[in-house]
Amino acid sequence: MENEGKIRVRICLGTTCFVMGASKLQELEHLMPPEWKDKVDISADTCLGMCQNSNSGFMKAPFVKINDEMIGGATVEKVIDKLKELIV
Amino acid sequence: MIGDDDTLFIDIGCSQQKKYNQNTYGDFYISKRYPEERRLIAVLSDGLGSGIKANILAEMTATMILKFVAAERNLMKAAEIVMNSLPVCQVRKISYATFSVADCSETGLVKIVEEGNPEFLHIRNGRVIPEEPKIIVSKKFPNRFMRTYTIQMDIDDRLLFCSDGVTQSGLGGPIYKLGWRREGLIDFVEKRFDAVPDISCRQLAQEVVVEAQTKEPERQAKDDISCMVLHWRQPRSLLVFTGPPYYADRDAEYANLFINYQGRKAICGGTTANLVSRELNRPITTEMFAKGSLPANSYMEGVDLITEGVLTLSKAVEYLEDAPQEMPDDAAGKLVTLFLDSDCITFMVGAKVNQAHFDPDLPLELELRKNVVKRMEKILTQKYLKQVSLHFI
Ligand code: FES
Repeated sequence: MENEGKIRVRICLGTTCFVMGASKLQELEHLMPPEWKDKVDISADTCLGMCQNSNSGFMKAPFVKINDEMIGGATVEKVIDKLKELIV
Repeated sequence: MIGDDDTLFIDIGCSQQKKYNQNTYGDFYISKRYPEERRLIAVLSDGLGSGIKANILAEMTATMILKFVAAERNLMKAAEIVMNSLPVCQVRKISYATFSVADCSETGLVKIVEEGNPEFLHIRNGRVIPEEPKIIVSKKFPNRFMRTYTIQMDIDDRLLFCSDGVTQSGLGGPIYKLGWRREGLIDFVEKRFDAVPDISCRQLAQEVVVEAQTKEPERQAKDDISCMVLHWRQPRSLLVFTGPPYYADRDAEYANLFINYQGRKAICGGTTANLVSRELNRPITTEMFAKGSLPANSYMEGVDLITEGVLTLSKAVEYLEDAPQEMPDDAAGKLVTLFLDSDCITFMVGAKVNQAHFDPDLPLELELRKNVVKRMEKILTQKYLKQVSLHFI
């Protein structure tokens, strides 16, 4: 598989996440260091299901899933920081 | 129920040209759908003379017939009463207005009454086929009679009605001494079907009117020219699934109902798309970049369009209201294009409410899905004459 071994980043573009700022996350691909391109696989999701989850606790939209970890209140900076941890 | 429907869709298109030098039409057409009865009534009336007087006579006659026929289930009886009660011009001793009325059922059955207007054309496989009228003479006015017909239309049959401004176009001129006449019209129509077998009602009506006008010397119409075309065709149907069902244990049932629907299919809503994907085990891919102010489309095998939910639906209502010349290239624009391309639109509206949409922290207020869909239904039926049904699930 082409994407095997890559870090998977799923950006939620569902209603709640979109109005809470997920549209800005679409820029992630252009804002992260170019050398990460072949290490990270970015894609969009129709809804990560977190918005309907009353147990999402203190986590807030927009949501991004990095591999199996859910990030709430996601911003480009927050996602890049997380990726840094995973890449080094 | 959703999907099991064997009725046809009746498309209608009309076109008109005023008599030269008049500022209003002396012919009048009107049509109305009665969705609960799966019925459409269309009337074409030609008022005596031209200009505003003719316009009022024709409009009065047409609207009166429409209302009367709609209320009185028996068309023949209704038309006879109208025929007997229409006033006669004291000077010219002829009716104030002639009319044709078609009471059409989506099963293909149609009843037609003509009084004074040229005989309609029944077009099947691109050829005009003869129809025998039953003549009913007015008991009150011996020189007045109506032709009545009961016909079973086949799929893709058309009916063409016109005012005498069409058949008499060119009358007295150098080429068409006797006018274009019914024969000329039939010839023209059959040739048009040879060239464009699936010509739309609107297009055909327009072409007939333009052609009639060219028969007139210097293209100056001596009379009002009107044409009305009806077409019984396979409805282009669309099913829109938006919002998850209230009871989650019915997800599978609705996902299957959706995918087995005969017609085009759209999903509006991320959760709904995920539900269908999960139940049918079909992957979704989502475009990364938003177009305009809306999230982009997603794709799934067997589904014609997938969009985000309430933002896109609200935007689509906006587009339907404003009717922009060119539809924007975003998800709502694509949805509206799909609507306009369909005759029958069914919405499967999930009643489950996503609480997150009412979080006061949201930077904007989201409308309730149910309300957006209701606004959509209203505008699609009233402004765009679509057949819309809503199913709350
Ligand atoms: S909209 Fe992002 S989790 Fe549902």
